[in-house]
Amino acid sequence: MLKMTHLSKVYRTEVVETYALRDFNIDVKEGEFVAVTGPSGSGKTTFLTIAGLLETFSGGEYHLDGIEVSNLNDNARSKIRNEKIGFIFQAFNLIPDLNVFDNIEVPLRYRGMKAAERKQRIMDSLERVGLASRAKHYPAELSGGQQQRVAIARALAGSPRLLLADEPTGNLDTQMARGVMELLEDIHREGATIVMVTHDPELAARAQRNVHIIDGQVVELSEDPRFHTVHAAAGDAHA
Amino acid sequence: MDILPILSTLRRHKLTAWLLILEIALTCAIVCNAVFLIGQRLERMDMPSGVAEHELLQIQVADMVAPANPYARVAEDMAVLRQVPGVISVASSNQVPFGSSSSNSNIRLDPAQVRWTLSATTYFGENLPKTLGTRLVSGRDLESSDFVDVDVAMKALGTGDAKHLPSVILITQTLAERLWPGQNPLGHIIYLAPTVGLRVVGVLDSLVRPNAYDISKAQYTTIVPLRMGANKDQSYLIRCRPEDRAHVLDAALAALKKVDPQRVVTTRRSFDEVRRKFFQDDRAMAGMLVGVIAALLIVTALGIVGLASFWVAQRRRTIGVRRALGATRRNILNYFQTENFLLATIGIALGMALAYAINLFLMLHYELPRLPAIYFPVGAIALWLIGQLAVLGPALRAAAVPPVVATRSV
Repeated sequence: MLKMTHLSKVYRTEVVETYALRDFNIDVKEGEFVAVTGPSGSGKTTFLTIAGLLETFSGGEYHLDGIEVSNLNDNARSKIRNEKIGFIFQAFNLIPDLNVFDNIEVPLRYRGMKAAERKQRIMDSLERVGLASRAKHYPAELSGGQQQRVAIARALAGSPRLLLADEPTGNLDTQMARGVMELLEDIHREGATIVMVTHDPELAARAQRNVHIIDGQVVELSEDPRFHTVHAAAGDAHA
Repeated sequence: MDILPILSTLRRHKLTAWLLILEIALTCAIVCNAVFLIGQRLERMDMPSGVAEHELLQIQVADMVAPANPYARVAEDMAVLRQVPGVISVASSNQVPFGSSSSNSNIRLDPAQVRWTLSATTYFGENLPKTLGTRLVSGRDLESSDFVDVDVAMKALGTGDAKHLPSVILITQTLAERLWPGQNPLGHIIYLAPTVGLRVVGVLDSLVRPNAYDISKAQYTTIVPLRMGANKDQSYLIRCRPEDRAHVLDAALAALKKVDPQRVVTTRRSFDEVRRKFFQDDRAMAGMLVGVIAALLIVTALGIVGLASFWVAQRRRTIGVRRALGATRRNILNYFQTENFLLATIGIALGMALAYAINLFLMLHYELPRLPAIYFPVGAIALWLIGQLAVLGPALRAAAVPPVVATRSV
């Protein structure tokens, strides 16, 4: 589903080159639920933005659903984002001037879908996240958890092949975070491929597979001393 | 493009949206009326005179000492002017087309008529149609036997002595059609006073009146065969080839001075100058209105640019989200262009109603004609185009917002 090979991302200024990703390799199979972890500044979000075709990369290869994306133009990238990828952002990223229904409708309109099908998909996805009664509410009238559910409904409405979640519970309290996580697990159980970037080891532990990023590279967890610290602390707590 | 979500967004920004709509409405209303006023002025400035404009010169002289025989003086002046190399024709005249100063007569078709039919201007002087270059469409020109000395005619008018009054008259075909619609005007009698009946012997193609302020009555013109004697401000019209005007004017002035070195030249000008001076207020008004329109359109365009730029900056994050959700750059460009089109359309609709109201006010208080309907679509298209051009810059900036903005915290 998602395969990056020797991928690099370099930010260049006149005096310095900064590698956000270097010789980055990852292979996410269809139907997998992968959690991507790593310390701040390690390149998690850069990986996600490249995976979601929100940003281009400097070198290497990236195949998404069998398509080599490096040579695609902006329109083709937009089309893939619209049809194959569902985004769930930490800050929800709902459009504040549109109500819940209209927010979910945004990507469907860009797909040129007929109104009746749009409506059906929107209501189905709202049912799926338990917010069918809030279709006419504006984002500001919803709690953080509800807003994130709307964002998930927006991502699901387009039936994407891949769900990319960037700290989906980062702005939520524990109870709301648990609800959102359970929703993602349900979606995964129904067959979706999910790649989730998170700081939270507990959330990461609920994913099928963990990928750890350090300094722009995927590393074996055993190589990261901070992983041992976290696990040692967790072990102390259990003891 | 999807209009409903855009309207939904605009409903959440009512104040700024309405400010722009009102600005567009005011501009539309004022521009429609101003363009109409400019059109009126241009139409007036383009008014045909019926004379050979580029071939005419006017000289006015004032004799410091009254000549013993004013008619002989005019005859002498005209004779010396005819001798000037390049002169094609010379006329004495009481007035010139577009000359502002006008001699008018109240015209009756029946001597017993209490209220006159209309007021027309009265040219008199010798050799006028030929010198002016106005074309005779039927009948004949005035002949020397038709002419009466103006002083004699004035005395005869007081005594009611018809024998010493002119008996014939030339009129324009516009005046003829107004007085006797669909009829041959030749032979009809016009009464300039109850005792002064003049038979129409010739019809002129066109000859504008000096005070042509009302375009609908600008061709209400007559030529009466009255011979002029030298007076305090005797006017001569000289016809020559356009390229000869400068040297003919100099030579004509010298010739007139030779007749009487004491005389003062009060006016020396080409007919082009006469026309230019007559319409200078119209030109100034049209120029001012063009300035007002330009200023209004620029202010409106800047308003659109300002608001669109503000909205682009304010919505940068949501533009990024839209891009992340699959919007192409074209989708974003279309969004802002459609939004502007909707605002402009509402503004134009209000502006048209306002334009109609302003026109009603101008009709009531300034006797302006009704604003023709064609100005509404023209104004609408102009404002739509300006709106689209004004929003293009901010919309292109919006379209350039990369999708990755969606992932960055503001």
